[in-house]
Amino acid sequence: MDNLQDILKQQIIDALNLEEIETADIDNDAPLFGEGLGLDSIDALELIVLLERNYGIKIKDPAVGKEIFKSVNVLADYVSKNRTK
Amino acid sequence: MNWVRIRKDSIVVNGDVLSTENTGQAMLKEVYKKHIGGYPKFFKMDALCKLGLIASELLLQLESPRVTDTEQRAVILFNRASSLSDDRNYQATIQDAGNFFPSPAVFVYTLPNIVTGEISIRNKYYGETLFVVLDHFNAQEMFNVVREAFLDPMTSDVITGWVDCENKDDFEACMFLASAVDQDFTPEFINEIYNK
Repeated sequence: MDNLQDILKQQIIDALNLEEIETADIDNDAPLFGEGLGLDSIDALELIVLLERNYGIKIKDPAVGKEIFKSVNVLADYVSKNRTK
Repeated sequence: MNWVRIRKDSIVVNGDVLSTENTGQAMLKEVYKKHIGGYPKFFKMDALCKLGLIASELLLQLESPRVTDTEQRAVILFNRASSLSDDRNYQATIQDAGNFFPSPAVFVYTLPNIVTGEISIRNKYYGETLFVVLDHFNAQEMFNVVREAFLDPMTSDVITGWVDCENKDDFEACMFLASAVDQDFTPEFINEIYNK
């Protein structure tokens, strides 16, 4: 799980061009949105594309998206249980 | 009148060369880190917006005190390539039916006038914004459009100029801060700075 969390953090940094942030700066339990990383609604859409492209996960329900982006830990858990690639 | 001239391998501000070690996109990033900073959104921008933001920041750093939060400043920019650089990037995300992942973050920059918005957001400008795509650099046309903007009594000055980005490493900008009472803002002056 730790490895997937680190991979996800690096993928988030790359996909969202968070150039001044390193994986170690992202707390696994901290909210991805609303504070800290300063992500916006376009970033949320980009993360949804990332999940589909890298893990074959299609997020169609906005409520699911809101839930899984609560933290890297929550996201990693969801990815590990739902990935198709 | 303050001005900035950027080419893909050089930057001149009011006649003074800004020393840089890189060219192209790496030069813009270097200037951001050395002279601007504190605005992480810069890294999310497309090449046209990065160019416009760098030019405007270097221009506005000359202003003392720096004006923000105003309705009286317009942002009127011109170019030839529109948002073609980012359009190509977006096309690349949808080109292959077997690898079809349209990027929202790239898509939002597929209009040239996004750069006028980025400059306005950064500086809390609530005045007029306009982006005009011309078939070539035309100082007279640019001057005419800016003079028309000054017909609105609300507009006291304008950030204006040429901000053209063929691709991320091939670009140029020529930017001015012109006020309604500036007598030296003329087509000849625009040409003179552009040709420096």
